Amino acid sequence: MRTTRHVVGTKNGSGLGHFSDPPLFVLASLASGPKHGHAMIEDIVAFCGVRLGPGTLYGAIARLEQQGWIEPLAAEERRQPYRITASGLRVLRAKLATLRQFTKAGLGRLEAR
Amino acid sequence: MNPRLAHLLVRLYPRAWRERYGAEFEALLETGRGGVGTAANVVWSALGERVFPTLGGSMEQSRFQSWCVRAPWAMFGLGPVVLLAAAYFIACFILWSGWKIFMPEADTPFVRIDGLAIPYFQAGRLIYFSAPIVIGWAIGLVAARQRLKAVWPAVGWILIALIGGTAQIHASRTGVTGGFEHIRVDFVMGSSGHGIPDGLFHALVILSVTALPYLIWRLLHRANFLSAGD
Repeated sequence: MRTTRHVVGTKNGSGLGHFSDPPLFVLASLASGPKHGHAMIEDIVAFCGVRLGPGTLYGAIARLEQQGWIEPLAAEERRQPYRITASGLRVLRAKLATLRQFTKAGLGRLEAR
Repeated sequence: MNPRLAHLLVRLYPRAWRERYGAEFEALLETGRGGVGTAANVVWSALGERVFPTLGGSMEQSRFQSWCVRAPWAMFGLGPVVLLAAAYFIACFILWSGWKIFMPEADTPFVRIDGLAIPYFQAGRLIYFSAPIVIGWAIGLVAARQRLKAVWPAVGWILIALIGGTAQIHASRTGVTGGFEHIRVDFVMGSSGHGIPDGLFHALVILSVTALPYLIWRLLHRANFLSAGD
């Protein structure tokens, strides 16, 4: 599900905007360890400058959990931490490899100009 | 965010979703930033969850997304027109059945009514008048969620506005062999009361109301992009 998101750009205006993908951000955030919703939002802001709205975040979490790419851990009071699963890691690796290929090709073309 | 507002916002989601994520989502809303932007994000997401319930991951292109790309003419042209035709058919059926039930002797159902006939006919009127608006909003919602350019949604809005603005329901027994109830829908531009034909004026009103939410959404996103460059 792709929903409205709040894009907080960096100083050079490189906010991902339309090319952002909330499920990918969530997987990348959880790759460094389990987190609950609020921690994910702040982590995503820190590592790629995009602030997901809470509705957008939970839309992504719900779909990722249904796919079996993330799973909930024991709740901490009212907070619910999640962690990435083995299949989630595989999907994230594949997706990032595609992006790396795309970035490399795109930068190569820019440098050739 | 105010806990009461957070609770109300969570209530916008479908029951199944709330049962699974409601408590933790409400806790997130209470501890996170408040504000109009956050509330709008939650309302939009809840609406999306109701229209397109979570079924699978979006990292793979869904069949619905695929249709939007492969056959936009069907998703934004034919589909809305068929939906509107279905809504008008239901409205006409309510009018016809109400006529048969509540005033079988009358020559037309457009007469003074009372009792149970009022809510019955009002339901038909509601479907008739709200269908173009609701379908137009649905077009905007799909276009926004699928990040589509405005060309095909605009085609859908114009079609829906023209049909909705010019459609007129007529019902009478006179002139029909056997005196059966006869209901038909005509599409007429009408007289030029406002300087432009009435049908066109109504179409422009419908077009404005249906396209406005999408245009605001586009404007808000453009504002986000501009703020990114500050």
